[in-house]
Amino acid sequence: MPADRARAIITFDTETIQLDALQRAVYAVADLMTVDITESGKKYVCTLFPRISTTDSDVLAHRLRSEVIDQTLRLRIAAETEPLRNLIFAIAFSQTGLNDAETPQP
Amino acid sequence: MTLRLPRDSAAVRPKSWQLLPMRFHRFDANNILLTNLVGEHVFLLEEQFLAILDGNCGDQKLLANLRAKHLIQLPAEQLPTELLAIKLRTRLSRLPNSTGLHIFVVTLRCEHTCRYCQVSRQSSAKSEYDMSEDTAIRALQLAFRSPSRTLKLEFQGGEPLLNFPLVQWIVARAKQINESHGKRLAFVIATNLALLDDEILDFCAREDIYLSTSIDGPEDLHNSNRRRPGQDSWQRTADGIRSVQNRLGRDRISALMTTTEASLCRPHDIIDTYADLGLRDVFLRPISPYGFAVRQRGGAGYDVQRWLEFYQAGLDHIIDLNRRGVPMVETYAAIIAKKMFTNDDPGYVDLTSPAGIGLGALVYNYDGDIYASDEGRMLAEMGDHTFRLGNVQSSSYADIMLSEQLLQPLEQSLTLSAPMCSTCAFEPYCGADPVFHHATMSDFVGQKTMSAFCQRNMGVFTAILRRAREDSFVRELFWRWGQR
Repeated sequence: MPADRARAIITFDTETIQLDALQRAVYAVADLMTVDITESGKKYVCTLFPRISTTDSDVLAHRLRSEVIDQTLRLRIAAETEPLRNLIFAIAFSQTGLNDAETPQP
Repeated sequence: MTLRLPRDSAAVRPKSWQLLPMRFHRFDANNILLTNLVGEHVFLLEEQFLAILDGNCGDQKLLANLRAKHLIQLPAEQLPTELLAIKLRTRLSRLPNSTGLHIFVVTLRCEHTCRYCQVSRQSSAKSEYDMSEDTAIRALQLAFRSPSRTLKLEFQGGEPLLNFPLVQWIVARAKQINESHGKRLAFVIATNLALLDDEILDFCAREDIYLSTSIDGPEDLHNSNRRRPGQDSWQRTADGIRSVQNRLGRDRISALMTTTEASLCRPHDIIDTYADLGLRDVFLRPISPYGFAVRQRGGAGYDVQRWLEFYQAGLDHIIDLNRRGVPMVETYAAIIAKKMFTNDDPGYVDLTSPAGIGLGALVYNYDGDIYASDEGRMLAEMGDHTFRLGNVQSSSYADIMLSEQLLQPLEQSLTLSAPMCSTCAFEPYCGADPVFHHATMSDFVGQKTMSAFCQRNMGVFTAILRRAREDSFVRELFWRWGQR
């Protein structure tokens, strides 16, 4: 896409926003825009390219910012619940009867 | 004498709970939908959600509800984790028992020329497009290799009644083979009923065979979609439905409809036609967006939003019929209701993960080619053989089930790891559809923000949850559908 169609540039603080959350957010808004991410000092610089050139750049910026917040929350929940999630899956798939070693010995 | 504990004794103190695995979705401007690993859910205001995450919620009623729904637990508790594991295992219990559905395409010949069908052949030589007994027996041998204790053999076409002798032969051989396997066998003939006669009815009665047919709605709409010489498709199908109901019983015949562009403004007419025919289930299905259906006159010239408007109008009409005492079920909503409101999974092939291809169904084409799904067979008719798993003449059961053509799409499309699916609050209700995404986006996973499958299903999930939340009659109705 030509650079002159870039409608907005927004930045995120690298100390408060994980790159993973930012990349997930960019993926989740891919129907509206594509985003070029570069790192400059302590900032992620995001250049927004709308898929439809008439889309309001403020709308796109708000959409990306709120998606970044949601993705940050999702990462936080995932990190906090990962041990329990692994435990639940381990319990769910143990004692399936598929392994001979599981069979109780007389 | 009754001893009562002081209310505060059971109070959950701030920062004393652990989050259990959960996903959230901004349901509307005010509400957040929170689901756990198995789809149990609550609606929260944003401030409540953040208070739960931050550990400073003091609303004991809300905390109790979240504990009951296995979204949080207290650190000393083990039971919620164990119960979640049991529920998860229950939902996935069908997996070790694949494959339950085996589709035999006994002929491609058909006397209909439906506008959206790409597989049938008109005026063709019998030998050219009919399955042979040799192909059928090899397909049966593969079907009986499946670990599933229940095998459903479904006869499709073309019009399978054009090769009725082979249907009879397969039923007899399947029962004979089953004498040494002891599986639960079920048989379904998917037919337009135009060729139904007393001999076929006698056979179905004797052999306990179910029939599945197609009714697209009222006569003019149906005949416009489903053409045959004499333009009498609807009348023949309607007569056939009544014959089956009278001879075999009401529950032995079901019908499917396909939504074409001409259907979109007539959801009430379509549903009322089903009610008039004594059918109690209607499946408001979108057209498959590939093959002949996407030709100019194929009937698929509408987008997801228009289908969702049609679907919701139809769902509301069905709810209204039930309110007036007319029992009618929308099949797709019932499938989803089971996933939303029970711990069971109906195993519907389009809404499972791992995907239903191969694991839920195998298709044996008339020429012996084996496909991972009926849609995979349709793609092959358009020249795309991605989902061809082998041929009954040369492939073993292991060849088929361990083929890269099956394992690659299954592995890539798992919703527990696919981008956006893995964090989607609707994941427990949804599924992977690698055939759809391959056909529409040339990728087994698909970019979900632009996926019609994703938009359609999120729209349906939202429609069901909103109605269940706002109306206790609807909530009870959906709950009953889920218990079926």
